[in-house]
Amino acid sequence: MALAAAAAGALRAFAGHSAGLGRASVLGSLRHFAAQPELEAEQGDVIEKKGIQLRGAPMYLDMQATTPMDPRVVDAMLPFMTEQYGNPHSRTHLYGWEAEEAVEAARGQIGGLIGADVKEIIFTSGATESNNLAIKGVAQFYKDKKKHVITTQTDHKCVLDSCRYLQQRGFDVTYLPVEKNGLINLEQLAEAIRPDTSMVSVMAVNNEIGVVQPLAEIGKLCRERKVFFHTDAAQAVGKIPIDVNAMNIDLLSISGHKLYGPKGVGAIYIRRRPRVRLEAQMSGGGQERGLRSGTVPHFLAVGLGTACSIAAQEMERDLAHVKRLSDRLYNGITSQLQGVVLNGDSHARYWGNINLSFAYVEGESLLMGLKDVAVSSGSACTSASLEPSYVLRALGVEEDMAHTSIRFGLGRFTTEEEVDRAVELTVQHVNKLREMSPLWEMVQDGIDIKSIQWSQH
Amino acid sequence: MPSAAEARALYRAFLRSSQHFGTSYNIKEYVKRRARDGFRDAAAVSDPAELARLWGAGRAQLEVARRQAIVYDLFSHKHKHAMDLLHQRKP
Repeated sequence: MALAAAAAGALRAFAGHSAGLGRASVLGSLRHFAAQPELEAEQGDVIEKKGIQLRGAPMYLDMQATTPMDPRVVDAMLPFMTEQYGNPHSRTHLYGWEAEEAVEAARGQIGGLIGADVKEIIFTSGATESNNLAIKGVAQFYKDKKKHVITTQTDHKCVLDSCRYLQQRGFDVTYLPVEKNGLINLEQLAEAIRPDTSMVSVMAVNNEIGVVQPLAEIGKLCRERKVFFHTDAAQAVGKIPIDVNAMNIDLLSISGHKLYGPKGVGAIYIRRRPRVRLEAQMSGGGQERGLRSGTVPHFLAVGLGTACSIAAQEMERDLAHVKRLSDRLYNGITSQLQGVVLNGDSHARYWGNINLSFAYVEGESLLMGLKDVAVSSGSACTSASLEPSYVLRALGVEEDMAHTSIRFGLGRFTTEEEVDRAVELTVQHVNKLREMSPLWEMVQDGIDIKSIQWSQH
Repeated sequence: MPSAAEARALYRAFLRSSQHFGTSYNIKEYVKRRARDGFRDAAAVSDPAELARLWGAGRAQLEVARRQAIVYDLFSHKHKHAMDLLHQRKP
């Protein structure tokens, strides 16, 4: 233990924090041994990017965009980034055997989290690739007899885009609408299924609004009608309990960086009994049972496996923690502000995702005002354009409310203090923006905004 | 089988490791919270086999925490986290 502490001390000196940026020579920093890393005074904590100044790293409340890696995951990955660097497909030497062992162990950990067998887990580069593989692969394999695919209007862009790709190649696609609370209507789904439907794809937990679709009911319906059920579970795996057998799921997409694992890796679950066949989208040496060629990045696979095993162990604790924080956030904001609407069903939801619309406030100005809190409005995939989110539009949220939506993402590492501070800052900024808003003034005076005739200048 | 003093020493070791981890306010707080919750739940366990397993798991996790505390320190930001600055400002 003493050795580790001494090593840590020496290493900190090497890192050169305390040497300051003025001393150019390495020798200077070697001579200056500090007991603690001296964090720079005020100047060092100011970060200037994109024309704004930030004091210190912002609080991270955007867990749906990505999650920080759990230190236990980093710990599991590092040996495979340093000394155990073999290619898992090398059959002739220790390096390959070690790497293969690690990949297979990871496969088992992933299967364990969702109730699947190791033979049913294929590593991919992420949930986007898994979704592409599931939709294009299954549709193309069964295209002689089955020409129809069903999905929802609120599914992830990669699912919708894959369906559009299929439409361009002669397939029929039904995009199921959702109710005002974001859930699909099971009767509508039953009606939409045709004799030539190959699969239904419904995401488990929505990344923008956090609603949880009734997976077990959808799975039961699909099993009865002999249609494959695929779910994009990127935001669900490791957060809510998933059992592919109990829920009759045939295909499932997993994303590493949504469950405190590394970015750049994911997996797809493909049922073997009854067998789901699909056409591989990546041609090559036949790795991953011929379904996904390419060297499996063993250190990323280990990271994903470890993240899954940690999630299985911590799920109950994390759910309780996230629910507590979520109530604190929602009650904190709604007790101090009027005109706040929660987008999506208030019961069938994952509590780590709180998407709120603030009436009479402009979304972008609120985001800019909340620069000390890292949140997002709409999903990362659609925020490049100025269009309001298609998910909120599918819910029937009006344009002005859709534009003011903010998504707060809470997770394992979020603290109560951060939530309290986020509530404080949000209330402050919303009040400030509303004070400047003539619409708000009119509402306070009792004028009905909808009855105003806006004149052209 | 660990004594009560050894268990307390293990808990303190986790809390000490949480002082490093670079500028990662969230990880530091998580280590403290998770250790507190873990030890609190383990205090209610009476089955000796389970206790032995928990003790082994705790020792292993401490090694992970110590290693990663150093790694995060090595690659940390030069600026603090906003919450740490907030704590500094309020006397």
